[in-house]
Amino acid sequence: MSPIISVRDLKKYYQIHEKEPGISGTIKSLFNRKYSDAKAVDGISFEIEEGELIGFIGPNGAGKTTTLKVLSGLLHPTSGDVEVLGHKPWIRRNEFLKQFALIMGQKNQLWWDLPAIETFLLNKEVYDVSDLDFDKRLKELSRLLDVDDFLTVQVKKLSLGQRMKMELIAGLIHEPKLLFLDEPTIGLDVVMQKKMRDFIREINELKKTTVILTSHYMQDVKELAKRVIVIDHGKILFDGSLSTIIKKFANTKVITVVLEKPVPKADFSEFGIVKESDPLNLSISVKREKVAQVAEVLLKKYPVEDLNIEEVGIEDIIREVFEAKS
Amino acid sequence: MTTYRLSFVMWRIRVFLQLLTVYFIWASVMPTDSTLFGYSRELMLTYVLGTQLINSIVFSSRTQEIAENINSGDLSIFLLKPLGYFKYWFARDLSDKTMNLAFSVVELVIFFLILSPPLFVQTNMMLLSLFVFSIFLAVLLNFVIGCLMSMIGFWSSEVWAPRFVFYVIISFFTGGLFPLDILPKPLFNFLELLPFTYLQFFPLKVYLGQVGVADIFKGLTISGIWIGILYTGLYVVWNKGLTKFSAAGR
Repeated sequence: MSPIISVRDLKKYYQIHEKEPGISGTIKSLFNRKYSDAKAVDGISFEIEEGELIGFIGPNGAGKTTTLKVLSGLLHPTSGDVEVLGHKPWIRRNEFLKQFALIMGQKNQLWWDLPAIETFLLNKEVYDVSDLDFDKRLKELSRLLDVDDFLTVQVKKLSLGQRMKMELIAGLIHEPKLLFLDEPTIGLDVVMQKKMRDFIREINELKKTTVILTSHYMQDVKELAKRVIVIDHGKILFDGSLSTIIKKFANTKVITVVLEKPVPKADFSEFGIVKESDPLNLSISVKREKVAQVAEVLLKKYPVEDLNIEEVGIEDIIREVFEAKS
Repeated sequence: MTTYRLSFVMWRIRVFLQLLTVYFIWASVMPTDSTLFGYSRELMLTYVLGTQLINSIVFSSRTQEIAENINSGDLSIFLLKPLGYFKYWFARDLSDKTMNLAFSVVELVIFFLILSPPLFVQTNMMLLSLFVFSIFLAVLLNFVIGCLMSMIGFWSSEVWAPRFVFYVIISFFTGGLFPLDILPKPLFNFLELLPFTYLQFFPLKVYLGQVGVADIFKGLTISGIWIGILYTGLYVVWNKGLTKFSAAGR
């Protein structure tokens, strides 16, 4: 089976106008404008198979959203080959547009002054959904998301979490094959984030919807995505399974120590990199194979009240990926 | 809900006051027994009241929101859907006009009951249907012009001001302030070649029966040609704007 998305050497440069500071700079820029290229996406390639759930990770301005915008036809690429669902996205053919949805956590399509159901009905017409399918899908989605009672409430009266759920329903009422989620959990509380994740997983498993997700919350990616694409400065740093990335980069563990009385920080530096939050609380990152040995020494030689050995957090691993490559 | 109702009522009061103002100005200017600029009192009052009715049909529009869409980046939401963007706005325009027209008719009825102004009633069915058709062309023309003005949004965030100035200027050329044929002949002939007279002045003249059949068809042709030219222009600018829209990363 051919991949649902294939991207080859995609580049997207933005032209940026540079201006020197001050009035003289302003006047100069009137006559002689200098432009430079901002390389939002700088030669990335990947393929995505039907039914995958993929996490896009990267800091702000890494090129995640730009990539999603190219894939959904909002942007023309500067160069490179892109094929999504067998179409060049930026031509924006109706057959293509009917098969996917892009849901952005910070942009909404719901009619602010009307109940959400009105937006759903409008989308039903826009996407040519039959009455039967509409009723069935609406029932199913509102059950999964638990919003039955709010369908007829004005959107502006809904809470942020409820609104995000309605956004999802509005985006899924035409049952897209492919779903792009840009920061779907932004601004939501922990409970709501969890519900959202459960829902995304369910959609992926039940409907075999291909999902590409960007998020700042590593938890989202960690729980949902089997495959992650790490992107920074417009380039792909890593593309593979989450467990591979952990194996590859997490070659240390963290020992946290609570002391009874202060000990000079320098004493511990032979074991690994020491971080100190206050004189009595220390954390040391130690090479995996030396952890047991170091712990023993610590307990014997120093006034240790409590000692903990932890895996490095996924956030730290990702940070390490970024630091190692840049 | 109260805020809605209140702003709604205030809006209609404003429109109604405007109607009264225009009416009383011309009612006091026009002599009762002779003509002014070739218009009898009856014809002139019909003309100025007609401009008010046409305001609610031709000039009521939602196209200014296109610029807001572009500036806020909400345009993306539309671009993602299998949806004709201009068709969508034309549909919204029509619904806006329907609402406006419904209220205007009610207000005009009230106005008639109170003041019973002397008005000219056209009874010739052919002229009436040509009048309706010219209104339809005017609606299309104003829609395309409105969309074009909103395209400014791709290049500037200041859309409201240029749009406002533009409409103030063209209100002179559309005949919204006075009938254009009281102007010197050469100037008037020139204005006839521009699209603006076909928004207001021309349909009203057709209604008043002051244009010959040949001139009616000439006028309809000119406004049709303008619709074609401006629509083509709109598509060119729109496609240019879309690449620009993307480049700004909104």
